[in-house]
Amino acid sequence: MIDRLYYFIMVPMVYLAVAWCLIGIAAKIVRLLKAPQHPTTLQIFPETKTPLLAALVDTFTLPTVREHRPLLWFFLMTFHVAFVLLIVAHLDLIPQLSIVSGASHHMIGHGAVGVALTVSVLYLLFRRFRAPVRELSVPSDYILLLLLFCLFLTGDVISWANSWGQNGFVLSKQDFGAYLNGLVKFTFQDPSEVLSGGHYTVIAVHVLLANLFLMILPFSKIMHSFFALPLNALRRA
Amino acid sequence: MEENQKKELLELFADKLTRAARLYLDNCTRCGVCIEACHVYQSMPETRYTAVSRAQNIRRLYEKYFKLSGKIAPWWNEAVELDDAWMDRVWETAYTCTGCRRCMTFCPFGIDTGLIQSIAKLLLIGSDREPKVLTMLADVSISKGRNIEATKKSFAQAVRNLEAEVIEKWRSEGGEEAVPLDVQGADVLYVALAGKHSIVPAAAIMNAAGEKWSLSYFEAVNFGAFVGNPKKTKEIAQRIIDEAERLKVKEVAICECGTAYRVMKHMTGKHSFNVITFVELIARYLREGRIKLDKSKIDARITYHDPCQIARQGGIYEEPRYILKHLTDDFVDLQSNRRASYCCGGGGGLVIMGDKEFRMKSAKVKVDEVKATGATILATACENCHSQLSDLMEYYGLETKVQFVSGLVADALVQETASRKVPAATSEEPQLQLTAKAG
Repeated sequence: MIDRLYYFIMVPMVYLAVAWCLIGIAAKIVRLLKAPQHPTTLQIFPETKTPLLAALVDTFTLPTVREHRPLLWFFLMTFHVAFVLLIVAHLDLIPQLSIVSGASHHMIGHGAVGVALTVSVLYLLFRRFRAPVRELSVPSDYILLLLLFCLFLTGDVISWANSWGQNGFVLSKQDFGAYLNGLVKFTFQDPSEVLSGGHYTVIAVHVLLANLFLMILPFSKIMHSFFALPLNALRRA
Repeated sequence: MEENQKKELLELFADKLTRAARLYLDNCTRCGVCIEACHVYQSMPETRYTAVSRAQNIRRLYEKYFKLSGKIAPWWNEAVELDDAWMDRVWETAYTCTGCRRCMTFCPFGIDTGLIQSIAKLLLIGSDREPKVLTMLADVSISKGRNIEATKKSFAQAVRNLEAEVIEKWRSEGGEEAVPLDVQGADVLYVALAGKHSIVPAAAIMNAAGEKWSLSYFEAVNFGAFVGNPKKTKEIAQRIIDEAERLKVKEVAICECGTAYRVMKHMTGKHSFNVITFVELIARYLREGRIKLDKSKIDARITYHDPCQIARQGGIYEEPRYILKHLTDDFVDLQSNRRASYCCGGGGGLVIMGDKEFRMKSAKVKVDEVKATGATILATACENCHSQLSDLMEYYGLETKVQFVSGLVADALVQETASRKVPAATSEEPQLQLTAKAG
């Protein structure tokens, strides 16, 4: 029974979650594009000669946060940069996309990326328990951060703990690559055949949390990852 | 709340859901960076006075009625029912916020609380809960526009009565009207407020510059914008647009009234004429050497309050400072200035609505900054700010005198000829009617 549950989480649910996420994001963008444009400017002055460039800088370097909340800015930048690296590191696992040397047993960052994410998400979570941010927060703010924390923690266990065994790597980058290769090629192969060992349960939990994250994403504030640039563009021009 | 009314209000809400509004309502992460942005929170640190809290009052309704998550799991983002009790929170969003948009300069996404506030104001209008004084004043403006022919004669007479005071500040050439009206092909149509303080100094300055100008029959202030009624806002602005087009003027110079400028410049589309603030016009005269100012007239330190609607919302930062530096060698900026300037606390119709206690307490941060400069003159370029700042100085016992930039300039105009012949005004003549002191 548990094997079938693991299989569902590791294979069909991944496809469902990705499809759900993509359709949800597309629906959200279409709904937004269908809405009428605002009739007046929402610009804040002074003007800049290159509003798009300014909006890009605003979006990717968060200057207003740096100015008013330097500590939050540090953790936000750590979080977002590490998140991008995390996506790259996961893509690197797919043999067809191999971005860095395939010979290494480690993921990109050797586990540091996951730790950076875990620490920064913990900071973001803890600051929500302090006034006045606590008074502004709603349940989804905590749940999303908690979900991310658990997701990153299980990721840390996979990427760090697998090298702590007496026999060296229990599961290597190549093993994960084999699993993702099966997903990409729609082989519907049982992942336990390529991801054997004591960490399989942790991987299943990690994938379950990732699936949940993908399913929630289009209906949550995480969509700011797509809309931060157009939002900043409104302020700039 | 009756179901019919709720339905009507939700339709009003839906009408306001532009692309920008949806972006603003969907993407706030409640990070709290905006918390200290608001002058109200800085002066009275209660969470409800933060930009994000005000926006949440509307966002939680949006969640309930316009989002799938609010229907499936209302607890997720704390969706709420639209009812009479919640309308009190909507009021808080609409009328404890002055629409200064300082919070927008803090938010990492640039979420515009002013736009979210406009939804709140529309819901209040729809439920007949808006401040009636604002609606009444907006209706008076609209009525005046519709009946302008009937009031033109008395307005012209009232203007004639001001000419002596204009000439006292600047002696015009013989045969020239000190306050011209209905000048076809004028270079500038000056739109004043309903009060001589808004006409006399401006007239003297334009006459000194040898400007070909005409005074508008209409007051600049737009109460439709204060109350948050887009239809009335447009109708009030349209009176001036029609007049400018009829006279075929090149420019419309809006008096020192921030909201009037923003509405005319940014909220009424493109025109056949250019829209400028009066301080821009003064700065131009100085640059072109068309007027000269006597620095010895003012022996005081001057500071300047940036009115939100012409500064952050209009980009007029340097012109007033350029002018003031022609009036004194002792100009000092407030600690938070230009884009970072705190609101005076009277915007968004608050000055007109009363509740002085709130206005005074919520703007203490501004008073502290004025006090720190040691200035004895606080100049500004907005009627609304002038009224609020004057109240603040009195309330907190500061000696600092609040003055319009135009008033300071008019008093310092340099005229070569020393002798003046000033005709006296007679008390029987009709006076300009003050509709309200707001800008």
